[in-house]
Amino acid sequence: MRRGLLVLFTASTLALGGCVQTKQIADVQFAPPQGDYSLIVMRPDVTVGLVTAGGMIEPRADWTEQARTNLLRALADQQADRGGRTRILETRDGVQGVSAETVAELERLHQAVGNSIALHKYLGVTLPTKRRQGVDWTLGEDAVRFGRATGMDYALFLHAQDSFASSGRIALQVLGIAGCFIGFCAPQSGGGQSAYASLVDLRTGEVVWFNVLQTGSLAPGVGFGDIRTPEGAAQMVERLLGRMKAGRLVRERE
Amino acid sequence: MSVALTRRSLIAGLGCACCAGFAVDAQARIPPRSMKPLVGAGHRPEDKDEQGLWQQYERVEEEIAGSNLLLKDPALITYLRDLGEKVGGPAARDLRVYLAHVPEFNAFMAPTGFMVVFSGLLLRMRDEAQLAGVIAHEAGHFLRRHQIRMWRDMKRKTAALNFLAMGAGVGGAAGGFYAGDLIQLAQFGTILSLFAYSRELEAEADAMGIVQVSEAGYAPTAMPETWQQLIAETEASAAFRRKRARRGYSLLATHPAPEQRMIDLRASAAELTSARTVDRGRERYLRAIGPHRKTFLDDQVKLNDPGASLFLINTLARDGWNGLLHYYEAEVWRLRGRRGDDAAAANAYAAAIAFPDAPPEAWRAHGYALLRSGRREEGRAALGRYLALAPTAPDAAMVRHTLSQ
Repeated sequence: MRRGLLVLFTASTLALGGCVQTKQIADVQFAPPQGDYSLIVMRPDVTVGLVTAGGMIEPRADWTEQARTNLLRALADQQADRGGRTRILETRDGVQGVSAETVAELERLHQAVGNSIALHKYLGVTLPTKRRQGVDWTLGEDAVRFGRATGMDYALFLHAQDSFASSGRIALQVLGIAGCFIGFCAPQSGGGQSAYASLVDLRTGEVVWFNVLQTGSLAPGVGFGDIRTPEGAAQMVERLLGRMKAGRLVRERE
Repeated sequence: MSVALTRRSLIAGLGCACCAGFAVDAQARIPPRSMKPLVGAGHRPEDKDEQGLWQQYERVEEEIAGSNLLLKDPALITYLRDLGEKVGGPAARDLRVYLAHVPEFNAFMAPTGFMVVFSGLLLRMRDEAQLAGVIAHEAGHFLRRHQIRMWRDMKRKTAALNFLAMGAGVGGAAGGFYAGDLIQLAQFGTILSLFAYSRELEAEADAMGIVQVSEAGYAPTAMPETWQQLIAETEASAAFRRKRARRGYSLLATHPAPEQRMIDLRASAAELTSARTVDRGRERYLRAIGPHRKTFLDDQVKLNDPGASLFLINTLARDGWNGLLHYYEAEVWRLRGRRGDDAAAANAYAAAIAFPDAPPEAWRAHGYALLRSGRREEGRAALGRYLALAPTAPDAAMVRHTLSQ
């Protein structure tokens, strides 16, 4: 009986431990951009690393470069399909008439606002004043000024992390699950992705849409995409940005 | 940590901790001459892990270089960079220095060769030799490749721990004994060992630094003096608050205790002191920080740490009192504001204006102190002097109003 339960537990761990999750939130008035719009993708913050046997993530420069290149290409392709004009900002001094300093400040401002959204909308520290209001944050005048200077309608901020288990880590994962059959169950996490995308309407300065993606698996050798490859990068972009839902009020009207 | 430790698991756990090469005892002094740089000029990372680390830190440097916390005085930055070149050994030309406007005694080194020096550090330095010592310590981290060695140590030990824990768990399940306590002990041992390694690397940086300082022609004794000064400052700060200073040594500390560093550096300095004339470079240092010393003093007295502030002012005054130091001494008393502090402040303002370098604000404060004590004409004269020295001061109109009454 005990053994049977353990096997069941092991099987369910494997089933539940590996998954792809996304959770998007939008401004209540948000309608996904369609047709003739322009989008500037701010320099994406990408890191790809190796999960060591001890569970630390060791960043890898070559993988990170590959992933960044692939993600940018996948993004441009996807936005072109929607009819938008996309411009990708690869360095901070890439916009004429806007100093690198200004771009850096906008990035830092977004980081602070994005952290706040993550805290209050994803990590459970809900605010009574923001309940049922979708995403209700703004970058303010700075973003509007940036929009005027660039002539763009939207800005997209993107952060992506991917990691892959080292052979030592995979050995531990195998042991951890094998142990379940004799009564010592210690499944270990392997690699996985975490990413977020944040869309800012540069005409109002407001964050209008936000999405978080998480993938991971406790089963050795199982992954859900690899952003070092063009297909894996396209998959992540699709998961993050593919099905943008309209805001609550817009949906209710329809 | 679980309290249900059996003697057997305790012994087993300690045995494992030892055989895995864990040492948690106090760090022995590293003879400075044994320290050789591990990087050459123009060092670039070759291994994958170091390349990854560098890529991350290049982003960090970009952030720091664009930070509005930086104090951007090109002459002062060039001076700091030149100092880095003097004590940087083979990495002399690869070091970058950023000066952060933060009133704390601190500096740190990134694995890619940039260093951040806090303005509070510059306030505490009496001469160039002392500053060169701190910069040489930081450069020592780069020369001895500390960040990547730390990372590899952590990788090795956490992996060993994980395999050990997994083996013990699986073995325990198969053999029918409980291994949880043993695993917890090994975890604790790993944590202690990581901190011990961090302290060892700090001791290395001290040893590497003092060699560089001495080879650059500075007095190596300046390095232990910095620690002596810092210990005394911590004690003065605590004494003013009627607290006891922390002893500073802990198994969970990343740095060796200041006392230990001072003692070791003294011994190392004695080994390195030669018959050559050594340089302290006080005049050069004062010229380089120029008007910034006033800003740094101003930051310090606003920290509401009168014990440390007075200690620092008295330390700097060991090279001679002047108007600036007396003025900020007065400010410490004024801001503390206990019974009798106003009189102490008034005395110090009066002492300040006797020096030609007294800041204009010293005349204003002196003037108001005189007015309060009923010495009307002298007070008005001092305020007049303030207006003459700082006619466009933001409070000039208010002072003129006082004079018009």
